[in-house]
Amino acid sequence: MSKDVHAMPETRTWREIPQEVSSRAMSGEGRRRLAMGSMRAVMFVAVIGIVAWGAWETAVVLRENPDSLPGAAKADRVRSLVLVTDGVLDKNWLAATLSIPADATLVGLDLSQLRAKVLADSQVSSAAIIRNFPDKLTVRISERSPVVRMMAQAAGGTPSMLLVSRDGVAFSGTGFDASMVATLPWIDGVRLTRDGTSFAPIEGMRAVSDLIASAKLEAEELYRTWRVISLERFATDGEIDVRTKSGMKVIFDTREDYLRQIARLDLLVDESTDPTHPLREVNLALGSQVPVAYGTALPVLGEPPVNTLGAGAPQPAVTFPRAPGIHIDIKSEL
Amino acid sequence: MSSKTTFIGAVEIGTSKVTALVGEYTGREIVIIGCGECSSRGVIKGSVVDYRSATECTHNALEIAERDANERVDHVYLAQTGGHLEGFYNEASVNVKAADNMIEMDDIRTVCDLAKSKDLPLGRMVVHNIRRPFRVDGRLVPTLPEHLVGQRLEVGYWTVHGQEQRLADNIHVIRGFNLEVRELVLSSLASGHMVTSLEERQNGVLAIDIGAGTTDYVLYRNGAPHTTGVVAVGGAHFTNDISIGLRLTEGQAEKLKLRFGRAVVQSRDKNEKVWLDGNFAIGDRQFSRQAIESIASARAWELLEVVRKKLGHAFAPEDCAGGVVLTGGGAKLPALAECAAKVFGTTSRLGEAPSWVAENLRDPGFHTALGILYYGVSSLGDHTSASRRKGGFLRNMTRLFAST
Repeated sequence: MSKDVHAMPETRTWREIPQEVSSRAMSGEGRRRLAMGSMRAVMFVAVIGIVAWGAWETAVVLRENPDSLPGAAKADRVRSLVLVTDGVLDKNWLAATLSIPADATLVGLDLSQLRAKVLADSQVSSAAIIRNFPDKLTVRISERSPVVRMMAQAAGGTPSMLLVSRDGVAFSGTGFDASMVATLPWIDGVRLTRDGTSFAPIEGMRAVSDLIASAKLEAEELYRTWRVISLERFATDGEIDVRTKSGMKVIFDTREDYLRQIARLDLLVDESTDPTHPLREVNLALGSQVPVAYGTALPVLGEPPVNTLGAGAPQPAVTFPRAPGIHIDIKSEL
Repeated sequence: MSSKTTFIGAVEIGTSKVTALVGEYTGREIVIIGCGECSSRGVIKGSVVDYRSATECTHNALEIAERDANERVDHVYLAQTGGHLEGFYNEASVNVKAADNMIEMDDIRTVCDLAKSKDLPLGRMVVHNIRRPFRVDGRLVPTLPEHLVGQRLEVGYWTVHGQEQRLADNIHVIRGFNLEVRELVLSSLASGHMVTSLEERQNGVLAIDIGAGTTDYVLYRNGAPHTTGVVAVGGAHFTNDISIGLRLTEGQAEKLKLRFGRAVVQSRDKNEKVWLDGNFAIGDRQFSRQAIESIASARAWELLEVVRKKLGHAFAPEDCAGGVVLTGGGAKLPALAECAAKVFGTTSRLGEAPSWVAENLRDPGFHTALGILYYGVSSLGDHTSASRRKGGFLRNMTRLFAST
């Protein structure tokens, strides 16, 4: 039953029925919906019209009389720098960091570039720069707090001290009180690697920070004796070694509760009253079994450990050769 | 919420009630979030006879559904039924044009256009064109035969058409709520899609939706609708017969039908009486149970016979392995499945909504409205993509304001 395609009759479908109805034939709700729709249409057209009119006016002014545009903001120089911070950095640091030319105008400043300059100092964790017209530039920053300090030495260079924050970022530590810095323990057994102009974050600092926080809370007297914290065995064994001023070595397990480990250490230190056989090593990383080594009087730690910069194996700063005559006790169920 | 999300309304303007559902369509799936129901007024046998009353109850149902969903409906799929709907089958064939006899889209388009093009009487409009599977040199091809090799391509369409004024009345009722009717969906296709499985449709199944004023049916073969139809008789006629036979008001007859009506006579005792109200009130009367069952069963038998007769040669029990599936409010008449099994000589069952449908929508009276949403959305894919090609920004903007 083949047919000629050109002779096909037009069939009418229901889609040809006009759907428009007069508002008389609508219910109250229908009329309300229609009114809302019309209002939206009018508002849409009005918004488009206003935007188009604004663009047209601006174009006309730019073409005919560009000088009539408000230019006060463009002409004003930066007269005031305001620093809002939660740390220790001051206005001098800001001025030196930004180094804005004296004749720079507020509008002419490249804020993203200035922000990059501020963030180039690793001590700053976040920064926002705001123009306050007519002539004020406000810089809001958030600073990192130091948890430990470290001595870093590049190949062939002189050692320099850096501070390390909880997130593992090492920074030079501008503006901190020297007496406060002197109370911070040294970090050891880490390797600093360059990441652009700063250093890559040190792994394990969160665990160290938690340990220090627990020690400060539970036994502040003990914490004050901590001299060096080593992360040498953090990656392999999940352990943190702490050396005290008296040369005692304490091994903490990062997977165990710090408060419990510190409580055990506190008890052991209290029990060890013989000055001729002081505690030499306490291993808290074996659960309820706590091996304790006693020895003769130990040398007090002097120079801080020095960590190398760049590639290379971590170098422990202080070694404790096991002296003959050391005996080991196992204290269990502490 | 995704900007692609649309809120679709499904409306069934029935003889006894108007049902409106709101579905949230994300482009991949549809979730029913609102339901509204209202007693129908101004509608007889699926056709609007009193515009104001029909508008009032339809808008009421839509408002309830929107309030339930807490969302505004963007457009509506509308169920279409009524005795004015008729169907016919028309087929066409073309010789494949390419020298290597490989069928191209152009051949398919031509044969489809030919099969769909048939003059309708004045005042009639097409509601649905339901395509049956293609045939290539007599071989059945369930999918598009593009790139198959053959000399002759044939296809047939079952075309459903209705009276223009009645279709327009239904559409205008919805437009009175300032909503666009996106699709007209035949009630039988909607409910049939809901209560039959893909496998049943593949093996052949007859779905009968017994409403209050009309009975819609669809016969599936080879996974596609083969024949559809509407009989302008429904559950209300059962009530009417009981009312006349026992000299009762419509309300009393409806009450008796719901409580004691059966599609197959069960009572053997002529003297077994049942109370009209059973509350010892003054005026309460007794009626013979067998009389009620006899009237209901005679009407049920007659109705199913009419459906079978209208199907004619299209229905054969051996080609209908899925049997007969009954749905709609009228299908709740006890023993109707048993009656249908006897009339059609095949298995019969009461249709059930799929398991994922919420408990409050599992009643057979909701199957059509549910089916409208799912059938409408599944058929929307092609329509939407075609509109996108044709439409664009301006068309979308027009729709945005038109549907507000």
